[in-house]
Amino acid sequence: MLTGLDIAGDTPLHRASARLKLILLFLAAVALFLVHSPWALAAAAIIAVGLYASTGIAPGEAVRRVRFVLFTVLLVAVANYIFHSLDDALAVLFRLGALVLLAAAVTATTTISAFMDEITRLLRPLERFGFVRAADVSLAVGLVLRFVPEILARYGDIREAHRARGLRVRPLGVLVPLIILTLKDADTIAMAIDARAFRRQ
Amino acid sequence: MDIVFSEASVSFAGRPALHPLSLRLFERRIGIIGLNGSGKTTFARLINGLLRPTIGQVTVGGLDTVKDEAAVRGRAGFIFQNPQHQMILPVLSEDIAFGLKNRRLSKEEISARTDAVLERFRITHLAGRRIHELSGGETQLAAIASVLVTGPDVLILDEPTNQLDLKNRRLIEETIAGLPEQAIVITHDLPLLDGFDRVLLFHEGRLEADAAPQEAVRTYRRIVGC
Amino acid sequence: MSTRDLVLVALFAAIIVALGLVPPFTLGFIPVPITAQSLGVMLAGCILGARRGAAAVLLVLLLVVIGLPVLSGGRGGLAVFVGPTAGYLAGWVAGAFVTGLIAERLVRETQPELAQFLGFLAAAIVGGIGVVYLFGIAWLSYSSGKAFMEIAMASLIFIPGDLIKAFIAMLAGRAVLAGYPLLPART
Ligand SMILES: Nc1ncnc2c1ncn2[C@@H]1O[C@H](COP(=O)(O)OP(=O)(O)O)[C@@H](O)[C@H]1O
Ligand SMILES: [Mg+2]
Repeated sequence: MLTGLDIAGDTPLHRASARLKLILLFLAAVALFLVHSPWALAAAAIIAVGLYASTGIAPGEAVRRVRFVLFTVLLVAVANYIFHSLDDALAVLFRLGALVLLAAAVTATTTISAFMDEITRLLRPLERFGFVRAADVSLAVGLVLRFVPEILARYGDIREAHRARGLRVRPLGVLVPLIILTLKDADTIAMAIDARAFRRQ
Repeated sequence: MDIVFSEASVSFAGRPALHPLSLRLFERRIGIIGLNGSGKTTFARLINGLLRPTIGQVTVGGLDTVKDEAAVRGRAGFIFQNPQHQMILPVLSEDIAFGLKNRRLSKEEISARTDAVLERFRITHLAGRRIHELSGGETQLAAIASVLVTGPDVLILDEPTNQLDLKNRRLIEETIAGLPEQAIVITHDLPLLDGFDRVLLFHEGRLEADAAPQEAVRTYRRIVGC
Repeated sequence: MSTRDLVLVALFAAIIVALGLVPPFTLGFIPVPITAQSLGVMLAGCILGARRGAAAVLLVLLLVVIGLPVLSGGRGGLAVFVGPTAGYLAGWVAGAFVTGLIAERLVRETQPELAQFLGFLAAAIVGGIGVVYLFGIAWLSYSSGKAFMEIAMASLIFIPGDLIKAFIAMLAGRAVLAGYPLLPART
């Protein structure tokens, strides 16, 4: 159910390293905010569309993924048109639109494990100062993926229990037992982690 | 592996759960029986340091469960009463590999050992399955595999056949019988104890019998009155 | 962080993710459905306190970064961090932290119920609304060109819905405190 957004493929973007893509995305963001000409930004947006399409993502899926964010971009652009000028509206539309598509292209071509490796590397300096342990972060990510389905199943059970007892299902009546029952497992799970000596010093 | 209790006792908030106890366990198959709440799990948790004795000392192979906690955990593997709770990562093969992390093993070494233990319990076909989709028997086997992959000398199983149907119960019984490792098994499944070397009976936090299976079970029936 | 804290953080992150996957709540007296995910942010602070609450929210955002569609409506990936509403996501982390900070200071297990309710409500409003909007509107204004004032004003139409969430967070926070207290006290 919780599967990543990366698309299998062997395009140039797939082959580029996660770090390179993230650095380029950051530089693109800075550059896009420095440019103000709508025409230059339109060119950038066209390039971004091209890059997003080059990932080999199916057209329907490509649209589905970005439509919500692009809708907010559109709203912002419309506000600029109403209160200011068409030029301002187009600049915002193309700048943010390009950025959203570039980001989506990186997401579509980078696997979860590639991201995690990069994050582990970024955390290493922090690890030296004792702020956070990289191994703990990947353990935490694994734990979330492990327990989301269980929490959803529990959510269904609690709703069913309400109905079985003829009670109306209210947000609080579901939320509170859901949270308490889930967090109560923490002791056992922590014990299971310790039992396997994962966080040995 | 020698497991030695020296006047070890446990209280929770001043209420005794296990009265002072001294004994030495070294047999290959040790059973633990007793009513719910009699102190079986408390006793078992002391062995791998998940619980510290309030007073007294427990050692495993000469290592103190408090002072050498990490080393003891490596030697004594523990299967929880609800094995679902001890599976930590979303996919079975990942969960089995989890126990091998942070041990300075190479990726190849980790995956070779994971494959070997899956093979050993004939669950290679479950490697890619999600933990929450496994059946009760599969989860129990997976939990045993995930603990044994780290190579402990003694395995402690807390009511391993508790929630299983007849067929899976038989499967787990056979699996336990076939383990070359030393095993300490808490159970309400009395036939499972046939052929065990030694059985401990707990009652209200006290060791009430320490004998061969038949005699311990007889004492159990007498105490409970049925 | 103890192993138990680490697990609590992960479990709460999992709850926030799950809240994004279940259908939105509808309350009898208002017509708009309420998505429960941003409620989860307020609850993280009210239930786990500042440090662990913020860590839980940060963990959810990490999942989004690495490409898991865990935001409500199945959104995820880097795109949500460059859109005009990205500031609200950053605000979630700070918001959970401030919510927790206030709850840790104001709420005690031994207090009368009313004081606990008021403590949680103040925490959820200041942290879960005030701080989140501060970050949200800051980025919205910066990223949205010349019309930033108008857009910032328009975003305030979501405040009434968020007040209802703060109210639910107050009730749930106090009920969880009664059933399974985890909130650390701070003086
Ligand atoms: N963490 C705990 N806190 C308080 N009491 C506990 C705890 N664990 C066990 N107990 C108590 O200790 C006694 C023995 O429990 P346990 O060893 O789990 O029994 P068994 O495994 O034989 O059913 C019970 O009365 C139980 O309520
Ligand atoms: Mg027990």
